[in-house]
Amino acid sequence: MHIPDGFLDLPISALTYGLAAVSLGSAVHLLKKRGINESRIPLFGVLAAAIFAAQMLNWPIPGGTSAHFVGAGIAAVLLGPLQAMLVLASVIAVQTLVFGDGGLTALGANIFNMGVIGVLVAYLAYIFLESRSRSVGAFLAGWFGAVSAAVACGIEIGLSSIFAYNIFVTVPVMFAWHALLGVVEGFATAAAVTFLTKSIPELLTHEVKAS
Amino acid sequence: MKRALTVVGILIILTPIFAYAAELVGYSEPLENIAANLGVGENPIYKGILPDYTVSGLDPYTGTLISAIVGSVVVFLVAFGISRLLGR
Repeated sequence: MHIPDGFLDLPISALTYGLAAVSLGSAVHLLKKRGINESRIPLFGVLAAAIFAAQMLNWPIPGGTSAHFVGAGIAAVLLGPLQAMLVLASVIAVQTLVFGDGGLTALGANIFNMGVIGVLVAYLAYIFLESRSRSVGAFLAGWFGAVSAAVACGIEIGLSSIFAYNIFVTVPVMFAWHALLGVVEGFATAAAVTFLTKSIPELLTHEVKAS
Repeated sequence: MKRALTVVGILIILTPIFAYAAELVGYSEPLENIAANLGVGENPIYKGILPDYTVSGLDPYTGTLISAIVGSVVVFLVAFGISRLLGR
């Protein structure tokens, strides 16, 4: 769902660049104040690399389309929303600058969709259910992370002139396919979180400190 | 950490297989489908160093594999660097 150059109207491109910059800036500011646990720094890098590789896997969805994981859910669950935003932003920046996946003029929008909206919505879904069932929370984080990013993308292109303001086409189509992909991402997120918390129980303790 | 790196390794090995599967079924992403249906064309102003996860001169699957390795290493270094800067 990386938006290429030429899809967005200038005001939308500028607005999403601004929103992404403010969000990342706030995340950096808050993390600097709070400090990152030194022991988690390698996890930060490895998770970013894993999300990059996972985003390269395009899952064929029966019916004629394919979609890739976003990774906003697993990043939000394992790292918390602030670090997750930076992880997704790193991934998307490399995809754009090295591989031309997503346009330079849409980099702000792509970071905003997957790295800000996806992460925040996934995190809210997770904390809402975490106390009852961590795996259900992780499933929903995976689902909401992918779907919210897709809907945000649908809104932005749907409000752009080149798509003839067909927002009532773009949003439902983006939603529907990612709602299906989100089920796969949800299960993958739940499986990964369940496995990781069993093998490395201290992985999730940072959330307690953070709140 | 070792296990985490194994997972990244497995994901990297999977990328050419998924690329092949995508080729086989001929599906593309919803965003691309919408653009095609509404007659919207891409207008790239920058193609990247390894455009679309390919390496020029190599077949697409080897290109995808190399892209996955290069990308994972670069992303790791960027994210690791950012967190080191914030960790101080």
